[in-house]
Amino acid sequence: MNGTAHRLADVITMPARNAGTQAASAATGTVRQLRNWTTNEVDDWGRDDAFVRRIWSLSHLRWSTSVGGAEHVPKRTGALIVVNARRFALAPVFAAIAIGATVNRPVRFVGRPDIAPLGPIMQRLGALLPVEAELESALRAGELIVLGASHTRTNLHSGVVDHQLVGSAVAAQVRVLPAATMSVSLQRNARVEIGGPIRLRHKRRGPLEELEIADRLRADINAVLDEMGGTMTGTPIDWLPNSWVARV
Amino acid sequence: MGGELGSRVASLLEDESWVGSIEGIDADPPRCRLRRTVFHRIVPGQHDRTVKVITDFNPHVVVHIAVWEPHARAGTATARSLTDDAATSILGAAAECSALESIIVRSGIEIYGRERGSVTRPSEQVASNPTSEYGRMVACIEQTADAIGKRIGVSVGSLRLATVLGPHVPSALGRLLRLPAVPFSLLADPPFTVIHQHDAAEAFVSAARARIDQPLNIVAPGAITALQAIRRGKRIPIPLLGPEWVAARRLSFLAGAPLPDHVQEMLHRGRLADNAKARDLIGFAPQLTTGDVIDQLYRWPSVVRTPAVRAVA
Repeated sequence: MNGTAHRLADVITMPARNAGTQAASAATGTVRQLRNWTTNEVDDWGRDDAFVRRIWSLSHLRWSTSVGGAEHVPKRTGALIVVNARRFALAPVFAAIAIGATVNRPVRFVGRPDIAPLGPIMQRLGALLPVEAELESALRAGELIVLGASHTRTNLHSGVVDHQLVGSAVAAQVRVLPAATMSVSLQRNARVEIGGPIRLRHKRRGPLEELEIADRLRADINAVLDEMGGTMTGTPIDWLPNSWVARV
Repeated sequence: MGGELGSRVASLLEDESWVGSIEGIDADPPRCRLRRTVFHRIVPGQHDRTVKVITDFNPHVVVHIAVWEPHARAGTATARSLTDDAATSILGAAAECSALESIIVRSGIEIYGRERGSVTRPSEQVASNPTSEYGRMVACIEQTADAIGKRIGVSVGSLRLATVLGPHVPSALGRLLRLPAVPFSLLADPPFTVIHQHDAAEAFVSAARARIDQPLNIVAPGAITALQAIRRGKRIPIPLLGPEWVAARRLSFLAGAPLPDHVQEMLHRGRLADNAKARDLIGFAPQLTTGDVIDQLYRWPSVVRTPAVRAVA
């Protein structure tokens, strides 16, 4: 009888034991993950590449992001990429991560608050303070940086581009690229389209240069947004004039 | 010249072809064998002796490394007093030397301060705004050296070092990180950078050779956060939120690792610096990254036992 009970125990695993094993396995996995996370390395600016990759993988649950025009992004030198930003869409963050994944280079973004815990978390993602000296230093070091225009309510047009922050790219003598971002609150698809570098007709010696570049950036982003045709749902709703979807 | 860094700099200068005679001053004797360097044991504050030795020697280049980091070898007040005394005597005496061409002084990246909104990774162009006692000390040295340089018309270069770590280098940060349990800021845990003593010494020699006339940041490539350093050293991390830091400072002091304000500031706000200019101007290329230096910090034995050369019993 005793031997039979042992044999049965070998074959049948009670649910409580199963649950216990699974809980222990989950706890061990979590501890291992935490250990891995705390031994990650950060770069010269505090960006944690492994953390960025995890966030990028996690973002696939919500977004399916595609990037166009990546050939305009320089392979080694620094560049400032200016994107339009719809309110609450975190466009600079996801544009930076998506472009980084496409061009296989770390891409940083501007707009980190200097207050814990949000600031340090964003620093791990590659965020920089919106300070000209910080941008200039990063651009001189050959970094790619995404800067968001001022927030707008819709994806129809771009907001104002901060010419003082654009001035840091002028000082560092790097390319400035416009990029349009398009996403819909109710859909998975998102798109980042990078345009060609901004070239002014007249070379300016003074601060007019960054003002004119900022204006050109806004105009170019609007042009790319127009080319993208606004937000599409792929349903007959798109055929309606002034579709509400394009306005979210 | 008696400290680890000074001894190393003197040792490297001896190998330089452009260097003729070398003389050094410190309160402690050199930590290594020096072949052609003349050493003078003078305590900071012995102003007359310092002035006599330096003016008699009449150097072309003065490398001033005598900076006491608070709670590294002396408490904050003593460190401030020793640093001031040494700077006043040495730089003042150097100004009297007719052959003087260049002054190189030791400074620190603490000079930039970590006020809210300050640049994360400042370059040399960023204005100094020290927010710790050590930062104010090194800012004072730079001001004094600059004033002397302008007055007598010689070039003054300052090397703004990250926290210097190395075997036997007294360092408040090194001691803290080697405790069995180490506190860190749970909400911030910002990145910081350090520099190995050998790389720092190489930077002094390169700067003296190039006769630099501007400040340069001397930091190791890469960065690390306190938690990552603690995990690398297999220490017990103690997460702190804010008010507990007062108790942590006291406990750390009792454990033999006092926590000065610049180290606490670093653990809360981070400390990075841009070293691109040093690479361009003096060809500074550190051998060790920040991660390597931290790894070495944990590999250094607490007590180094040197066997006797000859058995006597």
